[in-house]
Amino acid sequence: MSFYTELKALCAIPSVSGREAAVRAAIEKKIAPLTDEVYTDSMGNLIAKKKGVGGGKSVMLCAHMDEIGFLVTVIEDNGMLRIAPVGGIHFGASAFSVLVSENGVPGVLVPESRTKAADYTGDKFYIDIGAKTKKEAERLVSIGDFFVAEPSLRRLCGSRVAGRPLDDRVGCAIMLSLAEQMAGKALGGDVYYVFSVQEEVGCRGSKPAAFGLAPDYALCFDVTGTGDTPGALPMACSVGGGAAIKIKDASVICHEEVVNLLLSLAKEHKIAHQREILLYGGTDASSMQVTGAGSRVGGLSIPTRYIHSGVEMCDLKDAEACVALTARFLEAING
Amino acid sequence: MRNRQERMDLLKSLCLAFGPTGCEEEVAELILKEIYPTAHRITKDRLGNLIAEMHFGDAIEGRTRMMISAHMDEVGMMVRSVRDDGTLLFGTVGGIDPSVLPGRFVTVKGKDGMHNAVIASKAIHHKEKEEREKAVAIKKMCIDPGTGSKEASEELFAIGDFATFDSEFFFFGKDNSTMKGKALDDRCGCAIMIEVMEALAENPPAEALDLYFCFTVREEIGLSGAVSVAERIRPQVALVLESTAVGDVADVEESGRVARLGKGGVISLMDRSTIYDRDLCRFALRVAEENGVAAQIKKYVSGGNDAGHIHKSGVGVKTLALSLPTRYLHSAACVASVADYDAMRGHTEALVRNINRFGGRS
Repeated sequence: MSFYTELKALCAIPSVSGREAAVRAAIEKKIAPLTDEVYTDSMGNLIAKKKGVGGGKSVMLCAHMDEIGFLVTVIEDNGMLRIAPVGGIHFGASAFSVLVSENGVPGVLVPESRTKAADYTGDKFYIDIGAKTKKEAERLVSIGDFFVAEPSLRRLCGSRVAGRPLDDRVGCAIMLSLAEQMAGKALGGDVYYVFSVQEEVGCRGSKPAAFGLAPDYALCFDVTGTGDTPGALPMACSVGGGAAIKIKDASVICHEEVVNLLLSLAKEHKIAHQREILLYGGTDASSMQVTGAGSRVGGLSIPTRYIHSGVEMCDLKDAEACVALTARFLEAING
Repeated sequence: MRNRQERMDLLKSLCLAFGPTGCEEEVAELILKEIYPTAHRITKDRLGNLIAEMHFGDAIEGRTRMMISAHMDEVGMMVRSVRDDGTLLFGTVGGIDPSVLPGRFVTVKGKDGMHNAVIASKAIHHKEKEEREKAVAIKKMCIDPGTGSKEASEELFAIGDFATFDSEFFFFGKDNSTMKGKALDDRCGCAIMIEVMEALAENPPAEALDLYFCFTVREEIGLSGAVSVAERIRPQVALVLESTAVGDVADVEESGRVARLGKGGVISLMDRSTIYDRDLCRFALRVAEENGVAAQIKKYVSGGNDAGHIHKSGVGVKTLALSLPTRYLHSAACVASVADYDAMRGHTEALVRNINRFGGRS
């Protein structure tokens, strides 16, 4: 299966924070034949272990399965659903978009009439599923149901794609592609492929996962912002510029040894790369770094435009560079 | 078993105890006396958390390790300086709306004991017209202990002294079905744990259970003593007993009404710190139905509690929050329904007795 087909299949399954079961099942099916042991922990993280032959360092690789979405809090008499955001919803980008519930019920997200864009907050929004009454709505939706923006993915010029949720199915696809490449290879230490839950609400899932595994090294695969669009904040990172080697984001300063090793490996093997310093936003790298007795963390990010909108855009070549660089990294520390 | 009067006296004595965040010793002492006869083992950890264990059944396999927790601390104030006129400037400990403070009686724990005082701000006579329409900032209020001078105040008080509301606990409304007091958040949870421990001691379950009733410190400022407890006992399942602001009063619009008084304990699906385990929420609703106790779902995503730290502790914990619906939370006059308290008590006991049926534990 091509990387694009794999990514598209992963994007198609809704997986809001706390409700990741469907994506987890799809990933488990793919990764089980490529690894030695697969299990789900009590928070819902999927952990696939590739046993080492002994004597090496253990590595946790992590991408999150969840995406931002909406939680139904109240069903009003007129059949409209009031919502609370799950994760960092940008209501300007979400207004007037098609949503779908975890049970497949479609609806549209709209602000109260005459609300100015500057006043967009969760309290002003509702989901209209077309129900005429509260009773009709209640047949399809319950309080506590989750909605996500309708998934989509399409190819654009060259190797670029746009849609949602690239954040962070592209990370999941990178890990699957890597697991495929590494399946036949013998490494010294254990490699754990961790597909984490609840990253979008504050990196909650990877913390207990890393606590349980206590890895020597941990790498995080997630999207990062770019400075290559009109009006963007200055940032020396662009779509198509290669794998983004994380130096820092708002939640983590990556381990010096890991950063330097990734930079030198990329140079040595001529893998397209760039340095990432993200001034806002956090990733699972933060929670893996400080849980238990801590681990040496790094991040390989996929430069992505329009993050948390319905038209997130990235370049598949950057994702492929992440796969190639991680394979070299695993060999280097476990060679 | 306690009769009704004795049960309500327990809740009352807990609410009246002095225990702002960081100063929970008096509450802990009181709880220790109550749980001493029923707990199988009691530990007090370095932070001041009280952990009471109860173990049932002989089976080695299939045991459930369950943490039940409520926090002992309440919102309060801390003295930050003594002024020349003897009044005390203060800061709040935990989230208190400045508008609920002026004119309230408070108790200050001074060098040698408790002292009565009032929270003062400029009297209406001295306020300019526009001042009258605005809430007074906390930094412009003071605690007046009636001493009259800096010297006299410094004999009794020091910077860092704690204070909390001095507020009667009483029953009111039709058939005295409603109660009012300070610190219902979260002494209601503490009282329920004490009552459930007594019920279990009187009628021990046949199930194989390792129960840890945890009375925790420092919830109100978000530091969560509970996380240290969870890391220590490593439960499979945790039940957090809390109180939640309901917003079922007239000037809150329908979509902001979190829950209602009189509809039973509130089960949270999500708040700012936790997305609760869905299977456990469903299990809790089923147990409520089977046992004929009222329960409701929280209709708003707001607030946060110890569950936020507990569910991420160790290798992760399946966590549920059950809260007493409470009006005017974090004020001197928290108002709640006795029927809700009873429902939540019954629900908690049923959850503990049936937790081995919850398939999601691992």
